[in-house]
Amino acid sequence: MIRLPLLSTVIKNLFKKPATNPFPKTEPVPVPENFRGKIVYNVDKCVGCRMCVTVCPAGVFVYLPEIRKVALWTGRCVFCKQCVDVCPTGALQMSDEFLLASYDKYDSKFIYVTPEEAEEIKKKQEELKKAKAQAKAKKSQ
Amino acid sequence: MSKEEEFVEIVKQKFPEANVEIKENKWGRRRVWISVPRESFRDFMKFLKEYDEDAHYSIAIEEDVGDAIDFSIHLLLKYEDTPAISLIVKTSVPKDDPVLPDISDIFPISLQFEREAMEMIGIDFENAPDKRRLFLPDDFPEGIYPLRLDDKGIPEEMVKNAGHPYLLRRGK
Ligand code: SF4
Ligand code: SF4
Repeated sequence: MIRLPLLSTVIKNLFKKPATNPFPKTEPVPVPENFRGKIVYNVDKCVGCRMCVTVCPAGVFVYLPEIRKVALWTGRCVFCKQCVDVCPTGALQMSDEFLLASYDKYDSKFIYVTPEEAEEIKKKQEELKKAKAQAKAKKSQ
Repeated sequence: MSKEEEFVEIVKQKFPEANVEIKENKWGRRRVWISVPRESFRDFMKFLKEYDEDAHYSIAIEEDVGDAIDFSIHLLLKYEDTPAISLIVKTSVPKDDPVLPDISDIFPISLQFEREAMEMIGIDFENAPDKRRLFLPDDFPEGIYPLRLDDKGIPEEMVKNAGHPYLLRRGK
């Protein structure tokens, strides 16, 4: 005798609703709390301690000694959250963003701090330094 | 007397040249570490097979330690009742004469690990029935051993890095 043990289950399932999520017609399945999405970098909070460079297993960070910040390329990120846990100032955070497909691996959404931005930060830092020096000079007069 | 101690007694009698040690980790799990000179390596492995014919050969590890290459085998003995004897057999060959006897007639699986050690670190297993490469591609250069830390290891030119856009200045 041929045994068809799945037959009854299949017939029952024919009368049920499909258990699928027809994205993109609907919202994607909601992410849980503490979901590990794309890294967000707050360059102003960064103190240039290089902890993230040491801990990242994927080579996302390049340290920029001139401005004491880091440049990121999250195209390489494996979403392990180690940089977020180790950053002493909270300059690195994980977002909920996970729809990250792109035509270009060097898309600007994967990059924080380009060489041009680094130049700007450098200028700003120098101005700040000058202003501080002037303020000091005034005080001592 | 525990299983390990019994085993260690026999080893000490039969192989006085071997260096035997029982170590215990912080969870109380004990492991026997034995280092044998390469002259008695084959005899020692034969003895293990006789001591427990179901001995389980888990893995072999090759390591560059400077002047010599270490070759260690992790085995599990007498595992009908837990805890089994966890055993590491280590032997060492000098780099100017890196030859070890093949033991794949005693533990058949060892041939796979020997083939790996031959291509990765350049130990020659005498009389091994199969000396073809296992993991390295066929067009990989001869005489270069990826796990060597000396000048027979991977040269700088062979190391490729896909590059960070900041350093390539390709960011938009
Ligand atoms: S999450 Fe992990 S892989 Fe991604 S940037 Fe941080 S440390 Fe690197
Ligand atoms: S760990 Fe945080 S503060 Fe330190 S360099 Fe990285 S981002 Fe900046």
